[in-house]
Amino acid sequence: MLNWLERETGLVSAWQRFWAQPLPATVGWGHIFGALTLLCLAILFVTGGAMMFYYSPTPDQAYPSVQYMERFLPFGKFLRALHYWAARLIVPLIIIHLVRAFLWGAYKKPRQMIWVTGVLLLLCVIGFGLTGYALPWDQKAYWGTAVRLKIAEGIPFIGHAIANFLKGGEQIGAVTLMRFYVLHVFVLPILTFLLVAWHIRQVHHLGVAPAWVRVGDEDAVPKTQRLHPDHTFRIAIGAIIFTALLLWLAARYPAPLEPRANPLDTAYKPHPDFYVLWLHELLKLFPPDWEFVGSFVLPTVLVILLLAVPFLDRSPERHPLQRLPAITTGLTLLFAIVVLNIKGMEALPKPENLSPLERRGRELFVELRCYSCHGINGGGGPVGPDLGLGGKRDPKKVEAILRNPGAFNAHTVMPAYHLPPDDMKALVAYIVSLGPQSRMPPIPPVEPEKPPSHFEDNWLITHKFEVRKDPQSCQSCHKPFFCQACHGQRRPSSHLRPDWLKFHFGNAADELRTCDTCHTPDYCADCHRLTRHDTAWLRQHGATLTKFGETKRFGATTLHQLCYQCHTRQSCDECHQGALPENHKVPDFLQRHGELAKSGDKTMATANRQANAQTCATCHTQAFCTNCHMGAKPKSHEQPNFVAQGIRGAGRGKSGHALEALRRGVQSCATCHEQKFCANCHGMPMPHPQGFVRTHIQEARRNLALCQRCHDWGEQSCRQCHAKRPPSHTADFRETHPQRLADGGTSCQVCHGRNACADCHRLPMPHPDNFLHTHGELAKGQQGNERQRVQNLHRQLCAHCHTIAYCRKCHLLGNP
Amino acid sequence: MATTEWTRRRWLDWFVKAAAFLVTALIGLPTMAFVVLPAFRRPRPQWLKVGRLDEFRPNEPTAITLTFQRRDGWVIRTVRRTVYVVVKPDGSVKVLSNTCTHANCAVRWEHQKRAFFCPCHDGYFDLNGKVISGPPPRPLDELPHRLQGGFLFVRV
Repeated sequence: MLNWLERETGLVSAWQRFWAQPLPATVGWGHIFGALTLLCLAILFVTGGAMMFYYSPTPDQAYPSVQYMERFLPFGKFLRALHYWAARLIVPLIIIHLVRAFLWGAYKKPRQMIWVTGVLLLLCVIGFGLTGYALPWDQKAYWGTAVRLKIAEGIPFIGHAIANFLKGGEQIGAVTLMRFYVLHVFVLPILTFLLVAWHIRQVHHLGVAPAWVRVGDEDAVPKTQRLHPDHTFRIAIGAIIFTALLLWLAARYPAPLEPRANPLDTAYKPHPDFYVLWLHELLKLFPPDWEFVGSFVLPTVLVILLLAVPFLDRSPERHPLQRLPAITTGLTLLFAIVVLNIKGMEALPKPENLSPLERRGRELFVELRCYSCHGINGGGGPVGPDLGLGGKRDPKKVEAILRNPGAFNAHTVMPAYHLPPDDMKALVAYIVSLGPQSRMPPIPPVEPEKPPSHFEDNWLITHKFEVRKDPQSCQSCHKPFFCQACHGQRRPSSHLRPDWLKFHFGNAADELRTCDTCHTPDYCADCHRLTRHDTAWLRQHGATLTKFGETKRFGATTLHQLCYQCHTRQSCDECHQGALPENHKVPDFLQRHGELAKSGDKTMATANRQANAQTCATCHTQAFCTNCHMGAKPKSHEQPNFVAQGIRGAGRGKSGHALEALRRGVQSCATCHEQKFCANCHGMPMPHPQGFVRTHIQEARRNLALCQRCHDWGEQSCRQCHAKRPPSHTADFRETHPQRLADGGTSCQVCHGRNACADCHRLPMPHPDNFLHTHGELAKGQQGNERQRVQNLHRQLCAHCHTIAYCRKCHLLGNP
Repeated sequence: MATTEWTRRRWLDWFVKAAAFLVTALIGLPTMAFVVLPAFRRPRPQWLKVGRLDEFRPNEPTAITLTFQRRDGWVIRTVRRTVYVVVKPDGSVKVLSNTCTHANCAVRWEHQKRAFFCPCHDGYFDLNGKVISGPPPRPLDELPHRLQGGFLFVRV
């Protein structure tokens, strides 16, 4: 078989010739790095090829396929880590190989092209790194690629074209990923393969350059060893050490996989790989307009310089001391790069140094899914505050918040955590340890074993019905706070109505388990514990409320505002209508309450007068006064009768504030007071709205006392208009007008309008012709038995004009 | 090499080959496992709830469409599959696949003919899934089922 192959192709002898190649005596351990680089390339090729079986280069599927590889396939995680670490180790390997070749002067004539192909291979490897970076399509991949393409765009003239070629359009997306994939697995491997073949073929053809020998004197070094087994032995030792290192790294440190790429996440900070840090540092040295010098010009100059090394340094000397300019330049550049790189490393986030307790806390942070609301310097949900910010925390407060978040913020959506003491301690320790340097812990993917319903097209729309049907079924998989990932404030639409707080009790009574979907059973107690309205509470709720009013938490609100969260403003009146202190019932109480508060209530017992300052405080907090008395008052408010009734003689009897309002316009009041403020005393919008003259009769009938607060009934105010009424309208006109209506009321309509009678009588007046026959019907609208109905009717309508004796004229027995 | 003497050269040769073998094995075996083994993995059987047993009328096959997830590599697919539930008067239950054993067409229950009918090549199966006439080579496939708490579960 081998003979046949040899006869036909000559491969066997070529193979044997290759391995039996004689090497100069000076070839030693320094020469193994080329072979190790080749081994590394082979490992990358094999592991990368294996991953191609499972990888899908589309934005939708790239990340899930990498996840699948890592979690479901045997050695998936290991192989990816192997590829990752080999890709990282090949860079230092190549650089060592390059520096070795440089120091040894191995690029000298006739081996210039070996050097050139080597430099091109270095460029290929960097290309592999840049394209491979994007493939997992995680956050790092997406944002790293975005940054690099941005840098590429900065190159003058051609930058945009290059970036667009790589992106395959204007945006980073499906086409970009496919391009990077094809470059990574097709274009670059072919280039690399060709270059490697050429590189090795040249080395084989020209032989390894012996060390420290002048060009032309190479034959002086005896070739005492062969490639195999003398040099391969060294390579084998190196390969074993290298493989061991690689396996250990891959097994110990898996390749990182960050959360799936999210182009909307603005908090993400990509960090460059360690071997390009010096380039990033270089960028920082230039002002923004000159950035392309750092990003393009200098690297390009460096590459050209590297490629041109064999053509610049053409002296036949190989010994480093004989070609100091070249060596010094090379070493200086290398030194500069290393220094820049070290400087760049300082900017990288430091690995977190966590104690075992804090590490346990970090596990809990992930386990309890705190990250679904809180980020740590980016990442995480948008609901809660970012824990990386906000400075040093007090452990006691952190624990208190964890145990009962509602105590610190009544509207919080954070659930309470009742952890075992050890766990609580660990979690608190972790949260306290967080600072601007901290990073989000890796979050394990959640196995998507969802029920079929979740895959229906309209699931997002219909899920609320499922939740209502059976909240328990959701809770078998989801934590209660799962909803807030989307719902933000975790509030269903019903909760968003402004009067929700008032009416939630009804909903809760109907279907308490709907509340339980999101709220824990003790959630109600957060608010209601303050106001559990049992008998004992009712008995002293005035005092309780007063106490609350003095606490810090409620200091800013008046007590009643606290009540109004659930109760309407009328609720107090239901009981307190009769229980208001006597002095509050005086009509001008509002005007006089200032004096009362200062001097003490004259009706109170003498013993209590001392404590009179506290009299108001029985029910009201200090803040209650500021409801009306807000801050410093303008000068105008200090005139003697500003609030009190005006002096009748002066003007139209208006009080100071009314005159002031008339003079300066109501707008000046509106600076401090709302429109409603007038209604506090006046019971209606003030000043009287337009057209009030026409409607004031209704107001007056409804509540004459209201008018009388400012106006004197029957005196000047009314007279001003009503003085013009006809002489017939004598003082007793109200009682006697039925008798005086000679024309059936037509003349009344001249002034009073068509419905003037019905306004009072609530019946067409005078009674129509057939009224005598139909007036019994009116009683039908009333309640009670027949007798009560008639009595009600009489009381409401008829009694305005007729006495009961009038009925008896016909209904002799008092019955119909 | 005929001699069995362990010369330096031979020892080195052996060592290099052993090292090459070792490195290849360490990298190659996991890679092979990674590529080859998943092909022989069996899907995990899924038990699906079909319905309450007393909902099915005896001797009257009922078509039930099951919707379930199947993992297809890194994609989770929602699969729909129809089965016929046949309850005998004696209470025994059969769950039949609706796939014809001849050319994988979907069979349907013909109420008048009291038979499963395959429209592709006129195959007929009786209530038990046995072939009555037509080209199908074997009876309709039966799916494993179990009863639990009055509910019928079927494995897919």
